[in-house]
Amino acid sequence: MNNISRQYIYLLVVSLILFLFVLIFSFLVLIPEGKEYRIKRVEILSMNRDFREYLNFHTETEDTLQELRSKNRRIITAFEKTFSPSRFEKENKKYFSKLSVSTLLEPSIENGFAVYEVNTTSQISSPKSFYNFLEGVNKSAYMIAINFPIDFKREGESIKSSFTMNVYFNNKDINATASVSVNK
Amino acid sequence: MKYSYITPRDKSALTQEVQLLLSFFTITILMLFLTYTFLLYKNYSFKHEKQEILIKKEKLKKSFLVMEEEIVYIEKQKLLSENIYTKNIVLKDSISNLFDLIPSRITLTQAKLLKNGLILYGITPNKDIYNFMLQAPLRSIFHKTYSSFYPAQKGWYRFVSTNYINEEKEEKIDE
Repeated sequence: MNNISRQYIYLLVVSLILFLFVLIFSFLVLIPEGKEYRIKRVEILSMNRDFREYLNFHTETEDTLQELRSKNRRIITAFEKTFSPSRFEKENKKYFSKLSVSTLLEPSIENGFAVYEVNTTSQISSPKSFYNFLEGVNKSAYMIAINFPIDFKREGESIKSSFTMNVYFNNKDINATASVSVNK
Repeated sequence: MKYSYITPRDKSALTQEVQLLLSFFTITILMLFLTYTFLLYKNYSFKHEKQEILIKKEKLKKSFLVMEEEIVYIEKQKLLSENIYTKNIVLKDSISNLFDLIPSRITLTQAKLLKNGLILYGITPNKDIYNFMLQAPLRSIFHKTYSSFYPAQKGWYRFVSTNYINEEKEEKIDE
């Protein structure tokens, strides 16, 4: 009888110790860690959802940009081009009997774009040539606005015309040119 | 007195009951530790994942800002180019209209197109032709019209016609 009771006491003590260990470990370590896991999982799920939405929005914006770029390729290229008087003369010679473009002055800034003011003198056989030039200038490789005053003067059988043009290009190009010249 | 002839067994603390109990608790503790290890690993991976998402999001944000800036710039370029093209076409039409306005009996020697006006130099056979055929339409377009005549050869007249648009009035009309 004495032997049995000792055995039971031993079993009871061991099971109590182990049970206490399981209980303490669960409540002090496992449950807080589990709570943290649950919170972090919800947070990660929400972050992933936000990220996916942001990614979709980013892709949409990228598509819009690509579409804008492809639709306005000619305009973008025209603004990127630095004005070359000799090239302009070569391109537009067909409209005039004589064409000369004055040297470029320092560009000014207008609406965030750099603007070269170019003085032009030319000789045309009829006003029709000038109309053609004005139509052609809109298809030119540069972004050119014809400005007032425009002067037409009869010189024998032809008309001498003089006018100013505003050539627009990206303001960034000026900064690039300035930094290049500083480096030099 | 009775004697037992059976050889005594070695008594151990690990009785069958204790062994059963120990194996039960070992499995339980093992499961608890496995769960704990899983939670530790998951929390660690979540932390990394969170950092990665934040880095990726930051990159996307930068790229998005650059794209947005470019979109605004292209829109600005587009708007300016449309204004320029329209201005050039309007200018072409105005010059065309001006030359259409000149009657065949009057010869122009010079034409100055200003932002708010027009100065014409030319020769007319007489003042009446000028007044009826050129000055009248000019008056309908411009707010102020001044003409001066100088006698030329064969009874013809050289004329200077200065015409101005009152910009303030034009602006008020536009408003």
